[in-house]
Amino acid sequence: MRKNKIEINLEEIHTKYRPIVSFRVRKSLGSFTPDWEDVVNEIIINVIEKIKKGEFRGESSIGTFIFTITSRRIIDHIRQKSKVLKHAPEPVAYPDPHLQVENKERAELMAEAIRKLKPKYREVLYLYYYKELSREEVAQKLGITSRRVSERVNYSQKLLKKLITK
Amino acid sequence: MKNCNSKVQIDDYLFNRLDEDKKEEFEKHYFNCPSCFNKMAERNELIAVVKSKGQTIFKDEYIAEAAKGETWLEKITSFLTPRQWALSTVSAALLLVAIFYVIPNLKTTTPQFYINEDAFTVRTANNKITLISPIIDRKTVQSKFEWVKLERENIEYIVYIYNNGDTLWSKTTKENFIVLPEHVKLLMTAGEKYSWQVKAFSPEGTIISLSGKVRFKIQKSE
Repeated sequence: MRKNKIEINLEEIHTKYRPIVSFRVRKSLGSFTPDWEDVVNEIIINVIEKIKKGEFRGESSIGTFIFTITSRRIIDHIRQKSKVLKHAPEPVAYPDPHLQVENKERAELMAEAIRKLKPKYREVLYLYYYKELSREEVAQKLGITSRRVSERVNYSQKLLKKLITK
Repeated sequence: MKNCNSKVQIDDYLFNRLDEDKKEEFEKHYFNCPSCFNKMAERNELIAVVKSKGQTIFKDEYIAEAAKGETWLEKITSFLTPRQWALSTVSAALLLVAIFYVIPNLKTTTPQFYINEDAFTVRTANNKITLISPIIDRKTVQSKFEWVKLERENIEYIVYIYNNGDTLWSKTTKENFIVLPEHVKLLMTAGEKYSWQVKAFSPEGTIISLSGKVRFKIQKSE
């Protein structure tokens, strides 16, 4: 019987999926959790081992396969921690202050770029992200449509990307 | 998938506004959609910078908000002289103290408790917290716990989830809902009895209202 071998580039697991797995783990556990990196490493190793053993049969996409392993490992980790602590520490509410402003230089660049935006883009970022109003509330406050709010948010991001990469 | 339709969910996902099913669906999606993941990572970074440096970045916006109020204020204050304003302010303050502090404390008011037919509430001194959901047994652990927001501003709510009388988890929020973290959901098992309650606090930290404790169970699967 002919065996259909699923060819997976294991290097891609590291380069492409590690950032995704890291993001998912940090969002669930919080960046202040000291062992989040260990959890990510365990997941990547587990994925590679399963692929080598032939456990990935191509019934789902490789992304879904890795997502499933990631979700299970996160649940296991939380359960293990909950057994040790009576009330497990709650992951910090978003946004995690220890978090993604790791690259301080880049963060300063972005802050400077936001300051340089036109007022109509800055005020949308202020109301939508800083004050966490909904699109509808922002639209009402500024006298524009919700769709226009989304357009300005998206366009702000494009402008910021341009300003930062200059 | 450069123009993926799931991009609209990015902000709701990052701010934990998606319900459990949609959240899981979106998470599975970004494992398979590099375009969405990259956009989400960029958005995440932007939000982190806005949140951490917002006070300095948005100084102009703060000032603009305050300035809008001053313009209105300037119109009102032109009616009286400063001396007249001072006297009327003192008189108004004394009146308010009398109405809201002295008179209520002269007589002891017994809180009135009742159970309403459709919702579970406790009424104290004209405030009440009505719990919306969950108020019945569920097949799975519900993500979103919601209640009717009180009309007063700047209230902090504390949500308590109890298991057989012990506090399982609590959280403080200014919203009228919380989204249960995954690790708490995992602690909740089928067949066990749970209850939840919301207490409201003024900015000064005094309790101003509370709801009754609503019981619910996670149904055992057959």
